[in-house]
Order: sequence, then C-alpha cells, then structure tokens
Amino acid sequence: MRIRIRDVRSHIVLLVIAALVLYPMCYMLINALNSGVTTATNPWWFGSVMHWQNYRDAFAVVAPAFLRTVTIVVLSVAGTLVCASPAAYAFSRYRFRWRNVLFMVFFALLLIPGFVTLIPLVLEIRGLGLTNTMWGLVFPYIAGGQAFGVFILRTFYQQMSQDLIDAARIDGATDTQIFVAVAVPLAVPVMITVAILQFVGLWSDYVLPSLILSSSNPTVAMAITNFSPPMIAGDAANLSGLNMQFASFVLASIPIGVLFAFLMRYFVQGITSGAVKL
Amino acid sequence: MTKSDSGSRLRVSGRSDDRIAALFIAPGLFMILVFSYYPVVRSLIGAFTSWDGFNTPVFNGLANFWGLAHDTVFLHALWHVGLWVIIAVPLAIIPSFCVAELVFNLKNQGAQRAYRVAFVLPMVLPAVVPILIWEFGIYDPGGILDRILGVSTTWLLSTHTALWAMILMGFPWVSPFNFLIFLAGLQNVDPSLFDAAQIDGAALWQRVVHVDVRLVMGQVKLLIVLAVLGSAQNLLVPLLLTGGGPLNATMTPVLDMYQSAFVGDQYGYAMAISLVMFVFIMVLTLANMRFFNPPGTEG
Repeated sequence: MRIRIRDVRSHIVLLVIAALVLYPMCYMLINALNSGVTTATNPWWFGSVMHWQNYRDAFAVVAPAFLRTVTIVVLSVAGTLVCASPAAYAFSRYRFRWRNVLFMVFFALLLIPGFVTLIPLVLEIRGLGLTNTMWGLVFPYIAGGQAFGVFILRTFYQQMSQDLIDAARIDGATDTQIFVAVAVPLAVPVMITVAILQFVGLWSDYVLPSLILSSSNPTVAMAITNFSPPMIAGDAANLSGLNMQFASFVLASIPIGVLFAFLMRYFVQGITSGAVKL
Repeated sequence: MTKSDSGSRLRVSGRSDDRIAALFIAPGLFMILVFSYYPVVRSLIGAFTSWDGFNTPVFNGLANFWGLAHDTVFLHALWHVGLWVIIAVPLAIIPSFCVAELVFNLKNQGAQRAYRVAFVLPMVLPAVVPILIWEFGIYDPGGILDRILGVSTTWLLSTHTALWAMILMGFPWVSPFNFLIFLAGLQNVDPSLFDAAQIDGAALWQRVVHVDVRLVMGQVKLLIVLAVLGSAQNLLVPLLLTGGGPLNATMTPVLDMYQSAFVGDQYGYAMAISLVMFVFIMVLTLANMRFFNPPGTEG
C-alpha cells in the first residue's frame, strides 16, 4: 500500500498545532505537581519531586465551593428545564391567543447581550435581599436559560409524532397527563443536551457570581480565580501557592471532563444542531 | 381557529387551549419578565439618570451621553474594542477552519477521532482557567514567552504590549467550538461533490478554496457573528488580566461599564455605556446579517 505523502504532511502539521493548542493544559498539569522553586527555575518539566500534596491542599480550599457550585448549577439546570419544557410544548402544540407575540418575548432574549442586564440584575438581587444566597444566582440562571431551552425543545416537540398524542387523548388522558407521560419521556435526550450546554456554561461563570456572592462563599470559578493558599507552617506555603492554584484548575476541570467523557455526543449534537438552525 | 399546523387534531374547542397554554407558559414567562426584562427596562431608564445605586435616581436627560462623548477613557475603550473585533474575527475563523480541513481529509478514521479529541479537549477547562494560565504561566515576567524569546518583559504591564498581549492571547487560536462546527459542516457535505472535484483533476488546495469554503459559508457566517458579539462584549479577559490597565491601555467599553458601576458607584453613567454598546452591537449584528444574507436571497 502506498503511503500517502499528503497524509504524512498533514500529520506533522496537525501534531505541531495540537501540541501548541494543548500546551497551556500541559503547563497546568506539570506545574500543579511542581514546587514553587521548580516553577521559577524550570517550568517546562516536572521537578525531581512530585508534590502531590498540592492537590490535597487545593482540594481543601475549593471543596466547599464545589458543593455550593454543584447545588447552584443543578438547581438552575433543573429549574430551566421545568420552566422551558412546558412552555416549549405549548408553543409547538397549542393554538392560543398571542402565541406569536409570546414566542417573540422568549426568543428576543437571545438578542439581548448579557452585559445589558448585568448591573440592574445585581441591584435587583440586592433589593430582593438575595445577595450572598444561592437563589440570587439560581433565579437569574433559570431566566437566562429560557430562550435557548424553549428554542431547542420547541423544535423537538414540533417534530414529535401527533399520533402518540392522539392515542393518549383517545385513552382519556388530560393535557397535563399527555405532556408528563408521553411528551417529556420522549424529550429526555434533547433535555440532556440542553442541560449539558447549560451546566458547562454555568460551572464556568465568574462575573455574576463574583458580584452576588461574597468571597467567603465562593463558587468554584471564584475560588480558583481568587485562590488563597492555605496557611501551612514554614514559608514553603507561599512559594507553592501558585502550584496549588494550578492543581485547583485541574480539580475544577474534572466535572466538565467527566460530563464530556460520557455525554460528548449530546454536546456535539447540541452545538452542531443549534448552529445549523441558526 | 384551532386548526393545528401539525397534523390532525381530535379536539375542536378553542377555549381550553388558551387556558392550558397559559398554565404551561406561565412559569418561564414569569422568570424572564422578572429576571431578564425588568433589568433591561431598568437599565434603559437608568441610562438617563444620575444614580449612585443607593439613593433615588435623578433624571438628567442626555447628560450621561454627552459626558461619554467627551470621556477619553470611553473613547479609547471604543477604539480598543474595535481593534479587538477586527483581529478576533479572522483569528476565530481561519485557524479553526484549517485544522478542521486537515483532520477531515485524513484517510484514517482512528486518527481523525484522535485529533478531534485533542482539539476539543481544552473545552473541559472552565472559562477563567486558560486566561489565568496565560497570565501566570506564559505572559508572566520570566514566564514561557520570555524564556522562548530570551527577554524579560512585563507583557501585561506595559502600555505598548498589554492590549496586543490581550488580543493575541490563545495562540494558535484553534477554538474547540469553531473547530467542531466546521468539522460537522464538512462531514455533512455530499461526498460526491468532493469526488467530482477530484475527477476534474483539482488539487486538494484547489478543492478547498473553490469548493469547501463555499460549502461551509453558512458556518462561516454564524461564527463571524458570534466572534463579533463575543469580542465586542468581552468582559472576563480584561477584568482578569489587566483590570483595564496600565493607564487604561486595555480598557474596553464593557469593562468601563463594570467599573463605573461597581467601583465608581456611577450606575446611571454605567447604564448609559451599556445602552450605547447595546445599540452598537445591534447595528453590527444587523449589518452582519444584511451583509451575509442580502434580502431576497436564500438564508
């Protein structure tokens, strides 16, 4: 078999680009295990000693933030689906007054950039007394997920077979029963797609949490950005604070990594189908 | 009145649809009215007031906008973000498209999959992480960039380099998202088109330039719009990297808005900035859509 020169050339170019693309991640992984001294003298490679305790110390710092962020994100994603799913179903299956107007009210949110609402939202959360509570983030996140969630789910419900609904109706099911027992189970894969896209976005969010929560109650993104290394006897603690911070970056990436490893196809489906529609 | 566009309906009564639809839509509608539209309206009104965020806002007409037109920090910020958008667009499109082409044209399926994983992998990093790695590891004095170039420069602290360091961060600019979109676009093309080009004797690069680029035009349009929107309103990068400094050399309008409100307590002024930027971005987006989809042509 003839070796294709073209493929060899492509491989060389791709390997070089891949190395450059992945370099910041490698830097993070290498220096998460180094001491401060090694990072200062030779950040390219591992030092003679692997400082696994960086991970232990980083975990001690970010663990409470992990729990807090998981709670906030899960509540937000669940709330988004609970609100968006029936709305999307109504827009795709029912005829009612002001249907098009109301749909535009949902859809137009896609055109409003996030910074427009940032300041008044923070003031509103303050006014409602929700500053430094997780609801101060969960409510805006649920609202922020509606446009996209309704948009994607409506497309799915529109394509759903009418026969199933008619059959259930002949059996005497009410509208709510049909929605809960027939439509929702069929929409689960699409809901997973919406949930993953939102999870990834919210897990990373920094600006809004940093304005709603105090630095003593941080989310993961806040904790790893404004990382305060634990006080450890001796001045070694200060020297390796940056290395612990790199270890905290790795820890913060694990949930998204796990999600991708198992559910990558939903994610790819989500962004590519969304892109084709737009 | 109740005729559905999606096939036969057994029920022909109109009223009950109204009620059940209201019930289904109410929760989502309530959330967006309270946590999305109310802030938008408040921001629009606040732009015409002087407001410290605490006492009652005082209506001051167009004073905020008049002030902005003479605010050198804001005007410089506009120039910075204009430069950023102009550079960010080709950086968002060209590297990702080239890599997608290289991966797509590999014969070996296993190698294709391996490269796909490699180029998508950075997506697992939370958004703040790559920014901070560049700040601490690469741009830091004595960091990787200094070691490669054999110099000692404070890239983010010098007025000459800070803005460029910020705009060009992320070399070689292969975005996982854009790469996936292009790859999916190429994989959705009818393979017979590629075969036809090959039979016609077109070299690979000729096929890429004359055939592929046209076939992924839809993706290019979308990604240009997203790149313009993303770079025009980027707050996270300057906020983390430089805070707008040194001497406002990396100030962007959205960061100016952020600092006017949360640092300077000038909430009315900040809302005026956000309104101006909102209008700019709307015009830019509409112009983009006009430019790429002239009226009367297929979208």
